[in-house]
Amino acid sequence: MIARRRRPLAPRTAQVLASAALWGTMAAAIAILIAILVFVLGQGLPHVGWTFLSRAPLESGRAGGVMPILAGTLEVTGLGIAAAAPLGIGTAVYLVEYTRDGPLTRIIRFGTDCLAGVPSIIFGLFGFVLFVITFGLGWSILAGAVTLAFMTLPTIIRTSEEALRAVPASYREVSLSLGAGKWQTIRKVVLPAAAPGILTGLVLGLGRAIGETAAVIFTAGSSLPHVVPTSLLEGTRTLSVHFYQLAREGISTEKAYATAAVLVLAISLINVASYAAMNRFMRRYR
Amino acid sequence: MTTSPKLDVRALDVRYGRVSAVRGLDLAVPPGSICAIIGPARSGKTSLLRTINLLSLEIDGAEVDGRILVDGEDILRPDTDRARLRRRIGMVFATPQPLPGSIRDNLVYGPRLAGVHGQARLAALVESSLRAAQLWDEVKDRLDLSAFALSGGQQQRLCLARTIALDPEIVLLDEPCSGLDPISTLKIEETMRALRSRFTWVLVTNNTKQAARVSDRTAFLLGGELVEEAPTAQLFTAPRDPRTGDYVEGRFG
Repeated sequence: MIARRRRPLAPRTAQVLASAALWGTMAAAIAILIAILVFVLGQGLPHVGWTFLSRAPLESGRAGGVMPILAGTLEVTGLGIAAAAPLGIGTAVYLVEYTRDGPLTRIIRFGTDCLAGVPSIIFGLFGFVLFVITFGLGWSILAGAVTLAFMTLPTIIRTSEEALRAVPASYREVSLSLGAGKWQTIRKVVLPAAAPGILTGLVLGLGRAIGETAAVIFTAGSSLPHVVPTSLLEGTRTLSVHFYQLAREGISTEKAYATAAVLVLAISLINVASYAAMNRFMRRYR
Repeated sequence: MTTSPKLDVRALDVRYGRVSAVRGLDLAVPPGSICAIIGPARSGKTSLLRTINLLSLEIDGAEVDGRILVDGEDILRPDTDRARLRRRIGMVFATPQPLPGSIRDNLVYGPRLAGVHGQARLAALVESSLRAAQLWDEVKDRLDLSAFALSGGQQQRLCLARTIALDPEIVLLDEPCSGLDPISTLKIEETMRALRSRFTWVLVTNNTKQAARVSDRTAFLLGGELVEEAPTAQLFTAPRDPRTGDYVEGRFG
């Protein structure tokens, strides 16, 4: 007996179906993104004005603005990324350039992958116990920044590693064959070629850090700052924590959405600015 | 009286783990000459070449026995300054390998690391090395253009110029014309002939006709061993070993 087989689709039909399906997935993803942006900005932007951006919050955030909160957020995340970047990039350079694949690198890579999967509230708890209590930093920008650095480190290591691995082996061989040492080769050829990928990792890490709530609520605290924090040992409240408090305590829906809009705009601005800077750099380099 | 060889390979073994790529190889190259190395795939040509500038040790994890004498000095000794050695022994790879950056950037990369500074000196070096590689007329007005914008043949001549810019003593060429158009191949061969006496050339090639055209002496490798090494005319017309004759006449490989 001859088994009946389904007749295959004509190649042209399959092609049309595939491109329609792929277009559909792309459109759905973009639509979700746009829906969120439109919703948040639509609810929030009407309440964002110069006063909101330049004033301190009043009455627990029911009135006034978010100036010290915005500044504190940028301080915590900026400091966190500034601490994590050299550590993460250095680790990636070591893994890619100075070790051959072996048990050690596999363990390190497995460890960073596990670290990347740890929920941020665990980082918050860890940071609270270690930095806030044991090191006696209290709820502070410093404790929050170091915790965020720990949290973003795996992302930065893995993306930098991928970026370094994507640099053609021939670049290294050519550089060595022209009389460069190993470190000169890394500094002058490999790192510049990997820079766009490394920057993507930093921006991803920054995005994750700036919107982080759970890790900072335990470490930087949640008390409302009334002036821009000037000491690393002062506590602060970040934008996302502020949004959480305003919404959860039912203090002010308007101010909550306005805060969310500022957060979204800040992240977008950072993204655009980093890629613009990278484009300028690459034009000079290519 | 014979002059002492510029490059003298003695009883060289190259292994990658358990895989042996070169076995007991002896080869002497007189100064100011072109030595062609021919042989089928996996005959050890490239391993030999990459060991002469120590790339196989640093990149491929090769283990090496034997000696490689450059001006009588064994470069396989562990205390060899690799960066300095590679300035003396330049290399052009099988596929054109410009570094990201402009034509000028590519040319001044090595000299800068070697301590050559000053705009005027570097500019003179750029011009003289591009002229030597017969590329100057094609690129003199666009030295700041990306090296990737050049054609494959131009890129390979840029790589040759980049090697020449370091004023090496020995130039290693690893199948430099394997993917090139006939004009670029011709220009690279002309460069070799014109600069024959200035450098000592070692040319690995899959193209036996190219070996016959440009080289003074030719070595035939098979399975990691040297089968025969002789003046080129003799090796092609009256080989001592029948396998050499079979290979150069295209009966295998």
